[in-house]
Amino acid sequence: MNKQPSGAPLLSVDHVTVRFGGLTAVDGVTFDVHEGDLLGLIGPNGAGKTTLMRAIIGVVQPTEGSVSLGGESLNGLPIHQRIQRGMSLSQQLVKPLRDISMADNVALAAASEKTISPLRALLNVSNAQELAVAQYELQRVGIASMASQRPGIQPLGVLKRLELARALALKPRLLLLDEPLAGLNSQEAHALATTIAEINQQGLTIVLIEHNLGEVMRICQRLVVLDNGKKIGDGEPRTVMADPAVRAAYLGGDALGAAAAQGQPSLETHHA
Amino acid sequence: MLAIELIAQGLIQGSIYALVALGLTLVYGLLRILHVAHAALFTLGGYVGVMVCNASGNLAVGFFCAALVSGVGGVVMFRLAYQPLLSQPPYVALIASIGLFIASEEAFRIIFGAQGMSFTNPSLEQQFVLGGGLQFKLAELLVMLSTATIIGVLAWLQSRTRVGIACQATVSDPQMAQSFGISLRQVRDINFFVGSALAGFAGVWVALLNNLVEPTMGSVPSYKALAIIVLGGLGSVPGTLAAALLLGVIEAFGTIYLGDILDRNAIAFAFLIAVLMVRPQGLFARS
Amino acid sequence: MPAADPEVQTMNYEISLLTTMAIAVMFALSLNLITGFCGQISLGHATFQGVGAYTAAMLGKAGLPFLATLPMAMVLAGLLGVVVGLASLRVRADFLAITTMGVGFLFVGIVRQQEFLGGELGISSIPDHGLGRVGFMALALVMCIGVAALSMYIKRSWMGRVFNGIAEDEDTMRVLGIDVPRYKLAAFAMGTALAGMSGAFYTYHLNFIGAESFGFVESITVLSMVVFGGIGSVPGVIIAAALLSVLPAWFQVIGDYKLLVYGGLLFLMMRFSPNGMAGLAQHVASTKWFPTGGRS
Repeated sequence: MNKQPSGAPLLSVDHVTVRFGGLTAVDGVTFDVHEGDLLGLIGPNGAGKTTLMRAIIGVVQPTEGSVSLGGESLNGLPIHQRIQRGMSLSQQLVKPLRDISMADNVALAAASEKTISPLRALLNVSNAQELAVAQYELQRVGIASMASQRPGIQPLGVLKRLELARALALKPRLLLLDEPLAGLNSQEAHALATTIAEINQQGLTIVLIEHNLGEVMRICQRLVVLDNGKKIGDGEPRTVMADPAVRAAYLGGDALGAAAAQGQPSLETHHA
Repeated sequence: MLAIELIAQGLIQGSIYALVALGLTLVYGLLRILHVAHAALFTLGGYVGVMVCNASGNLAVGFFCAALVSGVGGVVMFRLAYQPLLSQPPYVALIASIGLFIASEEAFRIIFGAQGMSFTNPSLEQQFVLGGGLQFKLAELLVMLSTATIIGVLAWLQSRTRVGIACQATVSDPQMAQSFGISLRQVRDINFFVGSALAGFAGVWVALLNNLVEPTMGSVPSYKALAIIVLGGLGSVPGTLAAALLLGVIEAFGTIYLGDILDRNAIAFAFLIAVLMVRPQGLFARS
Repeated sequence: MPAADPEVQTMNYEISLLTTMAIAVMFALSLNLITGFCGQISLGHATFQGVGAYTAAMLGKAGLPFLATLPMAMVLAGLLGVVVGLASLRVRADFLAITTMGVGFLFVGIVRQQEFLGGELGISSIPDHGLGRVGFMALALVMCIGVAALSMYIKRSWMGRVFNGIAEDEDTMRVLGIDVPRYKLAAFAMGTALAGMSGAFYTYHLNFIGAESFGFVESITVLSMVVFGGIGSVPGVIIAAALLSVLPAWFQVIGDYKLLVYGGLLFLMMRFSPNGMAGLAQHVASTKWFPTGGRS
């Protein structure tokens, strides 16, 4: 894996526009992610964050604009090739394979070199190496003790960590997290957010979509704010949240976001 | 043969396909199950229609009983075979359906004999001459007419009544269907009943057109029906009708011009595969 | 070889039965690769057995020895398998079954109309394979065991693990960096090539083939064997195929009702044990002898 020459961004989103029929979900969004960043992608419901992430990962193709990883354009590439170039995604809806243990789930991700082609996969049987990697990643996210258990009966908090471990086992250059804290109670969310921050401190570049603004403010060094498909904020968390345009977007949208935007647990009117 | 004769032939055959395919599209659209046993309900309708008509002397009563019995049979199949298997992967219901289908064909053979059954007094045989050298049996005209009427009514029901909209909705959004105040189970029962009744109805028509009901007559129309529902767009009544009629016409022309290379069934499926290669979502798929 | 001795005749019957079983097991295991391991429902698998059978028949009548027809049968069947695989990658997942069904009808429809392929009457008077009855059976059994061993190996390898993932959730597998289309094609290529091999054996076993032996009914029969045995389970599929392939022979007592029984069995198995015989075995094992529950 090449280290980028300092200054050049790891991920470059360049005037990306995504249109579905008459609807413009993402409109000319541009921002860069540098190595080591922990970037939060936020905005009210329907702002286009998920669509943008899907455009980055390859589930949808941008109508205009391009996405580049490490200087190379990803346009037109299918999902698995983008993953092989060094990205990984932890999905919002966690869907581990039910028939195998959590360790085996993570090991499957760890085997990316062996599974790169059917022929190579056919010629490789041993999974000792991959299980070791799985154990390491499960340890990193704090659920190593349950490695041999099946995912089916686990609580959501554990599943979210499993999903994170799976994404980490791919040894990515860039980790994308789609609402990693969704559905967790405040304690679990706080703990998982701390884990994410630690992983970032260990050197991994992370971009996350999240609605839990409290945690986002705490761990992210940088925020990009979307509203109605457009970028309306980009920078240091406090500065961005103090921006009247951002406040207005949240006030016009979901109430929880609005409250957090104003830095208060309850709703009170404030003059911009 | 004149092109117009071929088109007419194709439309007649297409009408039969449409009646059978409609039941299938209602089921597949709903449950994503390849309801192969649908063929058995078609054949059942044929048998019931012939028996009742022979016993009562009244063709209309025969039609009515056939539709009713097949309709009920369809609901029974749903409750017995598919409902318990909804949580399983789709191939489970498929194999169960195949088992039912094979067993049904055999049951017909054992109960009614392999040679088949005929009308004692075949009716609707009178010839009608339309312009342009076209000549039809009354039965052929009526099958087209009744198909058009039934499907027209169904399409209207689907878009205008609460039940109909709920049926359409269950395909794409089961929760929304329930908000119409109609339970999922009711919708499924209705779908199976209507679809199966149509198949039974079609069975009597075929019995009339050929003056024969035999145990395996359901197979081929059902296989084609599977192709038709793919072409026509799942759950879409107008789409299914269009695809069925189109297929009937393509087959009519195809057997004349391509008969040396392909047999009739192969033509139907060659058409299907060709369409899917160009338009993988089907001919009339709704986006 | 004339067999006037009644004892030899009985043996001939059993040898023939075993050969039939071996061919059926080979055929079912080949579908198990595609449908059981990789989760792709094929309703037209008999086509590939047919391609192998016709290839062997044509080559055999042209003078090639049986053993030489085997690799050709596999190659041609596998090539067509890749073509069909590519075509089915284009369509939606639920259309895959219907597309493969269409391929089946297309195959039968085309073959039936070609005189050089025997037309409606099929191809008969296939030359003798020269191995003798027992030798042929032995070879069939050996190849059958080979296919079973290959299946077990694939299951334990990383290919098997990936297939398992694709069968359960192929979208997630893409997000894990797996080239899903390529794996599906690999499954198709291997499964159809092995079906072709079973077809070559079929030709030389029966000395006669016709297009209708490789139609929709045969495709759903072999699929039923795979599902009845327990989709993905190699031992289950072996047993199911062995049993169901000679069911008509065993059930001669019931005779007239055999298809009724067959259909009924399929239905009941799906209704009460969707994981087939393998599922039943697991259920029994986990409740009777291992109360704590065994690992699958």
